[in-house]
Amino acid sequence: MHLKTFRRAARDAGLNPYLVEMANIREQCSWVHHDREAATAKAIEVIRMTVEKVRRNHALEPIKVPLTPRALVIGGGVAGIQAALDIADAGHEVVLVEREPSIGGKMAGLSETFPTLDCSQCILTPRMVEVGQHPRIKLYTWSEVEDVQGFVGNFRVTIRRKARYVDIDKCTGCGECWTICPSKKNLSEFDYGMGMRKAIYIPFPQAVPARPVIDKDDCPRLKRGKGCGLCEKKCAAGAIRFDDEDRLVEEQAGAVIVATGYKLYNIGRDQEAGLAGYGEYGYGQYKDVIDSLQFERLVSASGPTGGELKRPSDGATPRTVVFVSCVGSRDNAKGLAYCSKICCMYTAKHAMLYRHKVHDGEAHVFYMDIRAGGKNYDEFVRRAIEQDGAQYHRGRVSKITGEGGKLVVRGADTLAGVAMTIEADLVVLAAAMRPADGVRRLAQMLNVGYDENGFLSESHPKLRPVETNAAGVFVCGACQAPKDIPEAVAQASAAAGKVQVMFNQGELTREPEIARIDETNCAACFTCVRVCPYTAIERAEVRSPKGTLIKRTARVNPGLCMGCGTCVAVCPCKCPELEGFTEDQIYSMVMSLA
Amino acid sequence: MIEQLRQTCRRLLEDGRVQVVIGYGQSVPGRPAIPVFIRRPEDADLLVWNDRCFTNLTAYLKRPEVRALGRPAVVVKGCDERAVVVLEKESQLIPEDVHMIGMVCAGMDDPPAAKCAACDAHVPRHADEVIGEAPNPAPEPPGPAQRYAELAAFMELPQAERMAYWMGELARCVKCYACRQVCPLCYCERCIVAKNRPTVIDTSATLAGNFAWAITRAFHLAGRCAGCDECTRACPAGIDLRLLNQSLARVAEESFGYRAGTDPQAEPVIGAYALLDQESFIR
Repeated sequence: MHLKTFRRAARDAGLNPYLVEMANIREQCSWVHHDREAATAKAIEVIRMTVEKVRRNHALEPIKVPLTPRALVIGGGVAGIQAALDIADAGHEVVLVEREPSIGGKMAGLSETFPTLDCSQCILTPRMVEVGQHPRIKLYTWSEVEDVQGFVGNFRVTIRRKARYVDIDKCTGCGECWTICPSKKNLSEFDYGMGMRKAIYIPFPQAVPARPVIDKDDCPRLKRGKGCGLCEKKCAAGAIRFDDEDRLVEEQAGAVIVATGYKLYNIGRDQEAGLAGYGEYGYGQYKDVIDSLQFERLVSASGPTGGELKRPSDGATPRTVVFVSCVGSRDNAKGLAYCSKICCMYTAKHAMLYRHKVHDGEAHVFYMDIRAGGKNYDEFVRRAIEQDGAQYHRGRVSKITGEGGKLVVRGADTLAGVAMTIEADLVVLAAAMRPADGVRRLAQMLNVGYDENGFLSESHPKLRPVETNAAGVFVCGACQAPKDIPEAVAQASAAAGKVQVMFNQGELTREPEIARIDETNCAACFTCVRVCPYTAIERAEVRSPKGTLIKRTARVNPGLCMGCGTCVAVCPCKCPELEGFTEDQIYSMVMSLA
Repeated sequence: MIEQLRQTCRRLLEDGRVQVVIGYGQSVPGRPAIPVFIRRPEDADLLVWNDRCFTNLTAYLKRPEVRALGRPAVVVKGCDERAVVVLEKESQLIPEDVHMIGMVCAGMDDPPAAKCAACDAHVPRHADEVIGEAPNPAPEPPGPAQRYAELAAFMELPQAERMAYWMGELARCVKCYACRQVCPLCYCERCIVAKNRPTVIDTSATLAGNFAWAITRAFHLAGRCAGCDECTRACPAGIDLRLLNQSLARVAEESFGYRAGTDPQAEPVIGAYALLDQESFIR
């Protein structure tokens, strides 16, 4: 940290800053030793070594690398949308990749949002339309990032456009196809199985783009290769393409924002290694035990029931509803150690929405603690309890069983010190938030770290919250940690701001303390190419002016090299030389101790 | 077998598929066969095949003067060909560059050399063509325990005794670099000992310099050594370099399931990364 300060001072004094070295006798010496005598002796040796090193320092100039002022945003939920719009509004191009048929993410499926109870779709869909119409945003839906090559400022991104079986350029979104489609009984992914959709469908009416996709597993024509084809006959635009295939497209980008969001903890019995699940809650066994996102669809005005609360088993209006929070969160034994942060708030919202819809119904909430930190958040929870009459019980639910059309919820109220049994018509489980599927593979592709739960690692938890340790890659939204909409949006704007700072520079300035390879002596075994963690070394050829091959050699891309020195360590003939840490310097430092 | 080898040599040269066949030629009876470079079909009769064909001829593939002769065919034993697989993995050769004539080998020398006693490649596996009959029934291939038996016995000794052993052995080294010259995998254009600014390895034959050289040479072969033992055979001081090579090969095999040159599909252990890699050696 302080080396920068002193180097700047040298520069101000007219010296090349890279001629400055620091002998760290604080963190690496005085702070870590108790024996003062020995520490003093060590400090002298550290200084002696540094003197030997600085004598051999070279004047270096920062490296300038051109950059592509174009951002790749991965994930089209509210965070991705916000980041894309901010960057595009600032005048830069954006490529937005979303793996579902429409952008909108989890937020598009929510009913109303805490703490204001404004309608989620009403505030999100105008932003989605803005993305769809923005001249500087190139939108790829039903697409996934297949590969990322290159480096900060100059990424080459391969995007898999999954077969949609609909030509989205020809399609007008008129809806004739999904109206006539005879395959009706397919569980809707957007409704989390609470509703049905056709085989050719748009996930929800406000989808962006308003272009359908055919599910090849549901479509009789695609399954059998013949027959049906009603949508094709009905389509006046001739947009149905039964022979569609996955296609790979390449895009260039200077920066990447990862906004891949979350999924819910799988409550049922089938679990990944290390997780036990909550089989005793009967999720997946009883139709009326649902998770929080399913409940959102049941109370959403655009949901499968038109906003009328009908329980999944028989469509009856539930008279007693039990909400269970912390299902999978804060549970080292069966779930995840962390707090999912938003469940307290949405559970209060759920209880409130339920009471607004069923005035004489009973809403019971089992909770561990109420964590309602945030502007107007605690007031919101108090309102659910005091005004809307939600009955809060501090305690855990031990078992849920189905008996005679009712769900018997057994739990405890630890404040009253009594065991509780509630006969419920519907149980809503607030499942933990987990990173979306596939994020680990993506992180490895981008060289971004992730924690044991799969959440992506920011560069510094306080001072670099949206940067990652991979230069040019930023994170926002729930892929980094559980968070609610306001936080995800704020973080997305922060990431977009960082990208703009980078793009406004015009070119990248890189530290000159990087490796270069002695191409005369390189034996071209390319072991360095394999070990380079930044893929900064490439296979190159040395040719004569006439074009005949003289030799092959490894070559460092100065835009990618981070100066880690792995190539130096691994090269048997010591052809790479790390500027600022040359072999001559290291050797003389070692010899100064002899 | 020898007639078949000579016919193959003639055919390859007559068809123009190769310009030179690197094989074994007769020397003084009882002494190791000498390498011969056959460039005309009528010279094929110079080739011999017996239990004196020690040399790993693949070491010649790296020589510029051999490369200048044109596309080579090389006579290999099951142990030698592993070096070619490593050379291909390290971008020094492409498979089309060289034609491998594999010889079924019952083992060299009498009594058999150490590597032959624990050989699991009597029949070459990667050669373009194989001459000779595979033993029937095939003998049970020796496992790691047999292949590393001498090393395991040596490592049983206390550390001080092992150090004393190497002090005695390496004191005899005269820095002739024969170990480097015969190694098919020592192909650097400038050997690290020739790098003199700074001179990290003392070039004179002092004990420290000898240690530095022997350790560096072994480290440069870590996860690469194909086990032909030519360095040991070539050493005029009779230093058992095989022990050093084996100790690194055993780590690669035990920790990463990697044996250099046995699987052309496997990524070289130095430079390949897998999530399941053992990290128990990091303390």
